[in-house]
Amino acid sequence: MTDLLLLFDMLLGLLIIGLAVAALRVRDLFAMVVMFVTFGLMTALAWVRLAAPDVALAEAAIGTGVTGALLLKTLYHLRRVSGTLHLPEALSERPPDPQVPRAVIAANAVMCGLVVIGLAAAFVTAPLGGPGFDAAVADAMPESGVDHPVTAVLLNFRAYDTLMEVVVLLAAVIAVWLVERSLPQSDPPVMGEVYEGFARLVLPGAVVVGVYVLWAGAVAPGGAFQGGAVLAAVGLLLLMSHVYEPAPAHRAAARGLFVLGVAVFTGVALLVAWGGRAVFEYPPGLAKPLILLIEGMVTISIAATLAALFHGREPGVQPRPADTSEGAQ
Amino acid sequence: MTEPLQFWMVALLFLPLIGAIAAFVLPRHAPIVGMGVALGVTGAAVGLCWQVQSVGTGTVALGGWGAPLGINLHVDGLSAAMLAMTAGVGAVVSMGAVNTFGGRVARSAETARPRQYFWPLWLLLLTGLNGVYLGTDIFNLYVMIEVIALAAVGLTVLSGSLAALRAGLDYMFASILGALLLLMGVGFVYLQLGRLDFGGLAGADPSGALVAALALMFVGLALKTALFPLHFWLPAAHANATAPASALLSALVVKAALYIIVRLLQHMPAPGEALVVLMGLMGTGAILWGSVQALRADRLKLLVAWSTVTQIGLIFVALAQAGVAGLAHSWKAAAVLILAHGVAKGAMFLAAGRIRAEVGHDRIRDLDRSPVRPALAQLAFAFAAVSLIGLPPSLGFIGKWMVMEGALAAGNWHWVVITMTGTLFSLAYFSRVFAGFLRFDRVEADVPGGVVEQRGRAPMDYAPLALAALGVALGLVAAPILEFLEIGRAGGWP
Repeated sequence: MTDLLLLFDMLLGLLIIGLAVAALRVRDLFAMVVMFVTFGLMTALAWVRLAAPDVALAEAAIGTGVTGALLLKTLYHLRRVSGTLHLPEALSERPPDPQVPRAVIAANAVMCGLVVIGLAAAFVTAPLGGPGFDAAVADAMPESGVDHPVTAVLLNFRAYDTLMEVVVLLAAVIAVWLVERSLPQSDPPVMGEVYEGFARLVLPGAVVVGVYVLWAGAVAPGGAFQGGAVLAAVGLLLLMSHVYEPAPAHRAAARGLFVLGVAVFTGVALLVAWGGRAVFEYPPGLAKPLILLIEGMVTISIAATLAALFHGREPGVQPRPADTSEGAQ
Repeated sequence: MTEPLQFWMVALLFLPLIGAIAAFVLPRHAPIVGMGVALGVTGAAVGLCWQVQSVGTGTVALGGWGAPLGINLHVDGLSAAMLAMTAGVGAVVSMGAVNTFGGRVARSAETARPRQYFWPLWLLLLTGLNGVYLGTDIFNLYVMIEVIALAAVGLTVLSGSLAALRAGLDYMFASILGALLLLMGVGFVYLQLGRLDFGGLAGADPSGALVAALALMFVGLALKTALFPLHFWLPAAHANATAPASALLSALVVKAALYIIVRLLQHMPAPGEALVVLMGLMGTGAILWGSVQALRADRLKLLVAWSTVTQIGLIFVALAQAGVAGLAHSWKAAAVLILAHGVAKGAMFLAAGRIRAEVGHDRIRDLDRSPVRPALAQLAFAFAAVSLIGLPPSLGFIGKWMVMEGALAAGNWHWVVITMTGTLFSLAYFSRVFAGFLRFDRVEADVPGGVVEQRGRAPMDYAPLALAALGVALGLVAAPILEFLEIGRAGGWP
């Protein structure tokens, strides 16, 4: 049995490397995206084999699902802008080869080589299994308010890191709303009837799965980021099936949804400090409800933010002509 | 939380974060929120410095867990000085931004959107910067660096021009690659030590694997701080941003990664002589290459951006001046140069933005043809240059003096030569700009009224002028600053 699993692991590892090489080698952009998504799914499987189901869920939902959707949307956008949307041969369109001086290529090769040597040295000489936080986490688990160690680390022991990761997502959506104004509008593709039926069937299920993944995070793998990504898929379906059309009147609500997680997280962190505690130090007994409150709000924010990143623009902003001046004041 | 020192630390972290949320949710009031928060953060930084001066270092154990399981915030003299510099420069740049993007009422549709987005991005950037200077945990520092990176990319493309978008994309790729290398290094450190806090790093046995992990982190951070030859993204990104954004990017953003490198050098077990020499060589490359490019630059902001590349190089030469044994002292020279560059470069980019706005272009060759001479902005530019060149009594002078003194004491006269060469070069390329300010014989003749030195003055010129003058004047109080930097390092380098 062990041998079979070992064989499976080795094949999986080879497959992942092969998919990575293929994704880099293939010149057809659509095929490249497909390779990338497959690569992500296989990597998620590898995480499962490494007994890291939380990472596997995140990889599958965010690294593969949402990122794949973003890549496909970008590809659609590029082909629409270049006017090759309806040409079948455009599928295998090559990006133009940029002219790079040989010296730059050589310098890049040397530096990449050095980094690879550093990586190899770090990897080869590293111990097989480090001490890690396992013992410290196990000791502190009873006071954490949750039963799943990963959730305890993310939402309690190192909640500050998690808050700032949600802040990163907020910064990303602000930057995207800022950038996208200078690009021409591209409508999402119109979906056929099969798709509409599919969406109707899948939507309620996805909502249930998303909420479940969030709720399960307290005792089992899952949590805000994974649940948020599944709920974001609901948002994507709503956007693509035109059930929901973003309108300028929704801007304020969207901004509110984006900041909800950060605001509640910050508020809880500071309010618990009121009675002489440290910031982020949940009062005993209140840890579980507070963590659930934070996770719930953060999930909503993540779902809204990821869906907004897919939509890619502030609702109702008119594109302006591209500014070709060499600099700006 | 009851201690004032801890209160100020938490305030410095959360005030800008809450401000960013408010500025994003209430776009109409963003300038007021942003300006208020920038001033509030300055006040908190002053309060913090006051406390550090009187009671010494402070620690906050977030969540009450304490390192290594939890995350600690810690402040000492160096952290407090960086926080104060960030807050001060940030407040002045905010004043400049209120002017650039219009106040409550946007002057045109063109400035309405940048104005709306500048404030939340800048306040998120401030959150990240303060988080880095208070952080003691390498994974947390990685997260903070990511907050900084996304906000900084947003600020780079604020103008929406094609050149800015292109530069912003390059910057983002470089930034993500740097963050990835940093994260891999952090992962390898965790694998070996089982902890992520500075304390664990300092107590570790130096091993080959740990050195490799730290080298990965160093390369990632060098990319983020634009150390030669990994500086390729910086000139275009900093030169094409709007003036307040350029000032923030050049004066503050590159300092975060630089600060982490200084901290790693402080805490890593036995940094090798090779690493220190490598830093000095990369710094030398930055000084020489950056200077040549600054001499060749055709636009004012591009010249200023290349000067940032040389100054970053100088800071690494300062770290390397006396080898591994000398690190116990040379970090102070580097810290002084970091502070001096932050203050002077913030002022210089704001002044360059004002000059461009008044003259109508920033081609260095044609500066002397312009009948409009924005005298105050030019004066601010010159004061900032005094500190960057390193003329006495500026803070930049003190920093360079310490570099050369330390290098001579250690017998490393080659670093003295490099520093002097860099100084001469900086005199040369800034003189190109001064000549444009001071020559009047090439002004196109048929201008009614002749040269108007008085035109192109605005109350907003006083902000960069004050900042530049501060950079010069701080050199007069260098002794207290050095004493302040040593707080928490009574035993010198651990």
